[in-house]
Amino acid sequence: MGLIQRAIEARGVPTVSVTVARDVTEAIKVPRAVFLPWPMGHHFGVPFRRDLQRRVVLAALGLLETSNEPGTILDLLIKWADVRREAKTLTEQGRKL
Amino acid sequence: MSVPYLREADAQHDVEKLVRFVRLHLGDGNETVGKEEIDRSWAETIKILLRDQPVDREFIAQVLEKDEATLALLFYHLHFYLIRRSGRWIHDGSR
Amino acid sequence: MTAADKQHALSATDPRESGTQLRAGLWQTINERYPGSMIRKESYVGQARLAKPLTECRLTLVSSCGVHLKTEKPLDVCHPFGDFRFMRVPSGAKHEELIIHQLKYPHDDADLDINVIFPIERLQELSQEGQLGELTANFFSFIGYNMDPEKFERTLAAGIAEAVVEEEHADCALLAPA
Repeated sequence: MGLIQRAIEARGVPTVSVTVARDVTEAIKVPRAVFLPWPMGHHFGVPFRRDLQRRVVLAALGLLETSNEPGTILDLLIKWADVRREAKTLTEQGRKL
Repeated sequence: MSVPYLREADAQHDVEKLVRFVRLHLGDGNETVGKEEIDRSWAETIKILLRDQPVDREFIAQVLEKDEATLALLFYHLHFYLIRRSGRWIHDGSR
Repeated sequence: MTAADKQHALSATDPRESGTQLRAGLWQTINERYPGSMIRKESYVGQARLAKPLTECRLTLVSSCGVHLKTEKPLDVCHPFGDFRFMRVPSGAKHEELIIHQLKYPHDDADLDINVIFPIERLQELSQEGQLGELTANFFSFIGYNMDPEKFERTLAAGIAEAVVEEEHADCALLAPA
């Protein structure tokens, strides 16, 4: 993905990526990225947690506006354990956000 | 292994490296699991054939007339088809 | 905390609890298993900047999650070297119209809610709310398993970049691997 991000940026279109593998992102030197300490396949959170998904998207979009320093990585360190605990609680309550 | 790496292995007749790559691909990134998966897909063919259902040999003959690249890729599709039929699916990138 | 909870509680050093990368050293792990498959770049590309506020921008989404319309044939997940084609996903599509074909990451949760990996509906909402200008007509999807970095850069990366700029006229891009 980093190669694609660099190719788009090189054509003058600003880009931002979301990553759960900070070391891979650092190695490929992308323009901007948001890092989350989450598992593969869950870059934007868990099912039906609309608020959390929006939060990640907005953090990434915000970086497009604020960051012009090559290689900026914003660490959004929301613990995965907390995400799962809250998702489990909501499921038990029969709620979806 | 990257494709350039595999080309080098092929040029040096290093079959071990080629087989290792197959096992990694079929084993969700784990060579030992890949070896088991290969055995499982073959075992699945036996289970199916034991049911003694009619087969379309004419279709097989037609398929075998296709080019080698198509047939080589078909081999992978058939493996994954058989693995799905076995009921145990291990592919999720976790290994 | 009950005894059962204590048994299942994560230690403070567990990355799920400590907020660190869940699979540490992933670049190294993949490159050891698949030598030559991982890329390291020595320098950054020139930084592009937004030409106007985000509220006036046209955004595109690029993902390696392997999502596509259910009405279309999938990319080839069986090929041992990967599939170097990409698909277009209409940016107005909803979860029910989409399906994922991919082997190399867990997508059980994305199968329940595509936005977990491909936040298409979240972006639709943000655009409708005016927080984004608009979305490109199409988003982009490919399979994030490619064993030929040079071919990947020459075909997939160049092809998507060309389409993003020349066909979709995006002002900015959000990219999400799987």
